[in-house]
Amino acid sequence: MKSSHEPKNSDLTGPRVNRRTLLKGGAAAAGVAAAGSLTIFSRTARAADTLRVLCWPGYEEKDVIQEFEDTHGVNVEFKIYIGGEQMLQFFNQTPRGTYDNVLADAEYIRKLAAIDAVEPYNPGEVPELANYHPKFNNMHQVQAGDGMVWGTPTRFSFYAISYNSDHMSFEESGDWNSLFLPKFEGKIGIFDWYLPNMGNASLAVHPNKENPYDLTDEQLGAVRDWLLRLRPQVNMFGSGAQAIVQAMINGDVVAGMIGDLDIDLKLAGYTNMESTIPVQGGIRWQEVATLCKQSENKELALEWIKYMSQAHVQAKLAYTKAFKARGPNLKIAEHWTEEQNQLLGYYPDPNNPGQMWVETLIDRSVGRDLPVQQDEKVWIDIFNEFKTG
Amino acid sequence: MTDSSVIPPSNRSPLKLTFLAPPVGYYAIFFIAPLAFLVVLGFWIVRDYQIVAEFSVGNYIDIFSQFFSRSRFGWALVQSIYVAVTTSVFAVIFCYFLAMGIVFCVPERYQRLFLVLAILPFWSSYILRLFAWQLILAQKGVLNYVLGGLGLDDPLIITNTQIGTRIGLIHYLAPILIIILYITLINVNRNLIEAARELGATRLQAFWRVIVPLSRLGLTFAFGFGVIVSFGDVLSGMLVGGGIGQSWLGSYPLYSNMIMADYNSYTNLPRTAALATVMVLIMVVMLVVAYRMADRARQRLA
Repeated sequence: MKSSHEPKNSDLTGPRVNRRTLLKGGAAAAGVAAAGSLTIFSRTARAADTLRVLCWPGYEEKDVIQEFEDTHGVNVEFKIYIGGEQMLQFFNQTPRGTYDNVLADAEYIRKLAAIDAVEPYNPGEVPELANYHPKFNNMHQVQAGDGMVWGTPTRFSFYAISYNSDHMSFEESGDWNSLFLPKFEGKIGIFDWYLPNMGNASLAVHPNKENPYDLTDEQLGAVRDWLLRLRPQVNMFGSGAQAIVQAMINGDVVAGMIGDLDIDLKLAGYTNMESTIPVQGGIRWQEVATLCKQSENKELALEWIKYMSQAHVQAKLAYTKAFKARGPNLKIAEHWTEEQNQLLGYYPDPNNPGQMWVETLIDRSVGRDLPVQQDEKVWIDIFNEFKTG
Repeated sequence: MTDSSVIPPSNRSPLKLTFLAPPVGYYAIFFIAPLAFLVVLGFWIVRDYQIVAEFSVGNYIDIFSQFFSRSRFGWALVQSIYVAVTTSVFAVIFCYFLAMGIVFCVPERYQRLFLVLAILPFWSSYILRLFAWQLILAQKGVLNYVLGGLGLDDPLIITNTQIGTRIGLIHYLAPILIIILYITLINVNRNLIEAARELGATRLQAFWRVIVPLSRLGLTFAFGFGVIVSFGDVLSGMLVGGGIGQSWLGSYPLYSNMIMADYNSYTNLPRTAALATVMVLIMVVMLVVAYRMADRARQRLA
């Protein structure tokens, strides 16, 4: 390095050189990072005893998949996605036949069917469906006609109110309109995705509607008005669960249309975090195991679907390191500890003899869906208006 | 066509072409090609949830038809530009004085050590740093805990505002800007400062009339870099700014956040590409302005 006392007015190019170096270094680092996160599948290179699954996190955990691999003597490769749109991108960016199974959110089945990605099958092939809660056997999102289905539900949970019980009472949490209470101004958190929020808003405006996504333009206008009215109460739009969890811990947010984030918070010792589904109803997310139409390994792919429908497998799947959820096979409770059953609602509901609390929540909730009467863009534009309002 | 007699023979040297090929290839593969694809994609359409390579300006009509109404992409863009410019101003001021401290107050043999310490945050994860800022700035965070201990009962609201966004961004930019400004300041001719002082200039006058003018190129460059990086960033606005951070303009999200949300929720990659292309165009304008400013500063120095 030159001495700082030398005259160097004519040599001020150092920063430019540094910037280029930094940009190149940064780009190279980004490239390496991106390459590291990619799982590149080759259609021709794979062995016949390999199953390829495109799925949300959790399915790839050893506890969940080990038994299947040992039983069938196969190797299962997973490509993990975060979000339905990313799933579609990954699927569309690989040659058909790359994946044998796609694990999709129930509402995305419609999109997968539209691009001819999935193949219907006879639900009779999956005997464990007999142990499922009836709502999961009758999901319209998976009905393919002629008694066939597009997929089998494997995991679910709720998108209703999550709240800090130091600030919101149990009674208040039972009504969506409590979010408008003056004490919650600037204290509400929203998950930054139109589908669950507008579904919940639809239920708040049209209580217990069978399909809150099936709205006339007038009904949708009422949902828009409800959201715009809620906007001053909103403090943040979280891009993911972690940001909202952090905001609830930090006290920036005390409640929100977020869902059952309290499960992980309770496990971390935050006993003041709760969640529930208001009396008007709430949205339920549901993951479904589908069979890829162009799979060359359909028999094994169907075996994987059957495997994922079993209670003891769902008990592991719904309690992964990735996150905690619930399983549609009600026998799941037999494979959990008392503590796990308490945490996830698989205990008797005192107000509804003969059924578990989770069944009451299932009855109160409606599966997330795509807009029925309007293009999704119309709904997204309304959500953007809410967000930028 | 250029007359071959004008080209020095060395320019046609196979060796030169060989060495030129990697950077050209690099920029073509990692910059030009993706950018061109992004622009082209913005003019395609989606049919039955699949991209169709059919030319259409529909995405742009859709975006600009609701630029300041409904989705209000325009307000998000204004918010982004405002946050980027102000962030860069604060970052440059902060880093300039930090670099001055290293150059003028630290003995020369320790300057490299101080420089390494100043750029140390660059070696830790940006996301982790943002989560750390959440913990520090939250209503029940470290800062408010300390202020509460000092008798200030009302917590400072910083997270989920654009002030929070700026803090995260400044922390991100600081290591790079410190390097730029350190190199700028270390190249300032000390003899000129001493001459100014001997001719009766106060320290402040020497600073304003000698050091600042001689730093103009570095300051311009740092400011331009700060604006462009801040404008394109999405993480600080999401994690510390709360996605819809409040500023005096209002509670609008950053434009980059709108692009991310569009990608995550809408099966229409061409519209997302069109939104991103608008952002790239603004960045190009910023680059041109920054280049002109730097060029003017260079001419003044010359």
